[in-house]
Amino acid sequence: MSDQAFPNALPQVTALSIYKTMTRIEACDQRIQQLLAAGALQFQYYPCGGQEAIPASIAPLLNTDDQVVTTYRGVHDIVAKGTPMVEIIAEMMGKVNGTSKGKGGAMHLSDPNAGIMVTTGIVGAGLPIANGLALAAQLKGTGRVVVVNFGEGASNIGSFNESINMAALWDLPVVFLCQNNAYAEYTSFAESTRSKSIAGRAAGYGLAGETVDGTDPDAIHGAAKIAIDRARSGKGPTLLECNAYRLQGHSFGSEEDHMDQEELAAARANPPIAKFRAALIERGDATAADLDAIEAAAKAEVEEAVEQSMAADMPGEDELYRDVFADTADIPYVGTAAAKAEPDLSGRAIQNITMCQAITEALDLALEKDPDVFLLGEDIADPAGGVTKATVGLSTKHGVDRVRATPISEQAIIGAAIGASLSGMKPVPEIMINDFTMVCMDQIANHAAKLRYMSGGRTSVPITIRTVTAGNIGNFAAQHSQSLEAFFTHTPGMKVVAPSTAADAKGLLLAAIADPDPVMVIEPMRCYYVPAEVPEGYYEIPLGKAAVRREGKDVTLISYGWAAVEAAAAAEALAADGIDAEVIDLRSLVPLDFATCLASVEKTGRAVIAHAAVEFGGFGAELAAKLSEELHGKLKAPIKRVGGTYTPVPFTPSLESLHFLTSDRIKDVAQGIAG
Amino acid sequence: MAKIMLKLPKLAVSMQEGTLREWFVESGAQVTLGQPIYALETEKTTVEIESPFEGTFTCIGEVGETYKVGDPIAEILQ
Repeated sequence: MSDQAFPNALPQVTALSIYKTMTRIEACDQRIQQLLAAGALQFQYYPCGGQEAIPASIAPLLNTDDQVVTTYRGVHDIVAKGTPMVEIIAEMMGKVNGTSKGKGGAMHLSDPNAGIMVTTGIVGAGLPIANGLALAAQLKGTGRVVVVNFGEGASNIGSFNESINMAALWDLPVVFLCQNNAYAEYTSFAESTRSKSIAGRAAGYGLAGETVDGTDPDAIHGAAKIAIDRARSGKGPTLLECNAYRLQGHSFGSEEDHMDQEELAAARANPPIAKFRAALIERGDATAADLDAIEAAAKAEVEEAVEQSMAADMPGEDELYRDVFADTADIPYVGTAAAKAEPDLSGRAIQNITMCQAITEALDLALEKDPDVFLLGEDIADPAGGVTKATVGLSTKHGVDRVRATPISEQAIIGAAIGASLSGMKPVPEIMINDFTMVCMDQIANHAAKLRYMSGGRTSVPITIRTVTAGNIGNFAAQHSQSLEAFFTHTPGMKVVAPSTAADAKGLLLAAIADPDPVMVIEPMRCYYVPAEVPEGYYEIPLGKAAVRREGKDVTLISYGWAAVEAAAAAEALAADGIDAEVIDLRSLVPLDFATCLASVEKTGRAVIAHAAVEFGGFGAELAAKLSEELHGKLKAPIKRVGGTYTPVPFTPSLESLHFLTSDRIKDVAQGIAG
Repeated sequence: MAKIMLKLPKLAVSMQEGTLREWFVESGAQVTLGQPIYALETEKTTVEIESPFEGTFTCIGEVGETYKVGDPIAEILQ
């Protein structure tokens, strides 16, 4: 018997559908733990016991193409949204018939067919991405609603603040569903939160907030209906908090000493499923025999899924590199990116414009060419037109929906781009200065770069992150001058482009926007406002195709970004001293045109790698090591690097000039090995 | 006919090993789902491990031996 009288608010068919989903969730969750306890499986598992009623009660309100984002404690959300049981269990076993061919695992199921777009292992990271899915729904007018699930612990992380503000500001069709299970990992709600509820914070953000009993299907369904109707009718987001006590420790096998033992015992004595079962019988919605049959069917479904999963294979070696990028040819050293052809621009009219203007032109052309392209970033709309003026005029021409100024919310900007790209759009987010990418590193490195792989190729993130490095333009100091490409080249799944000329900046940006993978374009402000020759019209410079700026036989200078300009100047100075240098401008680091580097250094026998970034641990170290491996015994001198000193970028000119490389330093180092 | 290997389970986040204390079934026996199959002593406690499947049981581990998490302990032929 339940100790609480349920109002008989739900129609019988809905109530039974909710009960069925709850039993399917429980059967799945319990069977996984049984297999783990017996040693038939082993992986990190975060049980959902106690929270079954939440997604089960919402499921009847969602269409198949409505979208859900959830977390590592999310199997209940995934079962409820309609992912086939066998795909869920097989993924947890790492099998080829899993949602992601076993490459995502228990923490990263994704099933776009059922609308499960992201399951993240990072607390709070789903909220910014949900905004992007909702933004795509809004821009395309699909009528879709997005539900993003998170725990109350996630409400204390920065992305919560950024996302809820942005969603409220833009009236996004999203339901922020806080499953408050009373414990954030090992820490109680009271120990981590001063506010009485999470939904109570909604008023401060200017959106609707509601708290309900997350073990009561009538209450959950009723509140969720209001929230989902609100979102679907264009009236904006809701912060819906469902309180449901976690019936076990943080993860399978973890101790429960941190939990209030009396509360835990009381919650376990009256779990949501038993409570709802008693209520359904009491109301006359079903007999005990009806409900027994539903439970038996759920167990049978799970058992069949377990059998099919146990019998399936794990993926073979051929899957290792697949799904890093759309094309494995773009993987450094594995693929052959250099085979891509340079565009024929011989008949083009030439204009004399700056790199900044060339970038504006590229963005304009991309917006004209593809209705799925849109820009977002701080200050990018007119009249500001961006702090570097790279987007001047674009919002006036293409509208503020497609050239979208944002709050200062880097995680929300990148998350919105990721989410929209998961729905097929081609967003071009701007992170004003390269240093600020550190603020949204989680979204870039843990999500944009990895979602294709984690989903076994079922989702992809074709976003182009534009960011400026203000290095060596004078007095921008330690937090506005860095070249941080090595962070991103060290993140499999992320492409990194670093132009040095205006013509390349335009063509590489257009190629990046058309590319099926996430690309970061690092634009050098040092080269931004210098007029140069740029072909008119649309053209793409292929990613992964280096430019040989000068041919030579004595030494190879390899560089990219603004340092490539210094390398070219060094080569001219070396020529005056009788040293014939070959200059390679990589233009893109991932994909990497290693073939061009290798052929050149094999020819000259000497290499200097020059970059603006700090030399220690920089991209040059990777390239130098690989060239040494390939050319051992053929080199005439050790491979040398020229980069920034191991210091933050100093403010004062007397020190800044010592930190950054110069053409003279490149020349001196080259002379040292080739003189 | 599927052969399922039962390995020493990881029953706590910090658990590295456990000692097989007692078999509750013999090799060749038919086991049912949920039937206790052996006693496992960990750092903290001794627990009864239950069969996760029906089938024909084969003991692999030795009573009194300490095994690492993931070592094979038994097999079930479905």
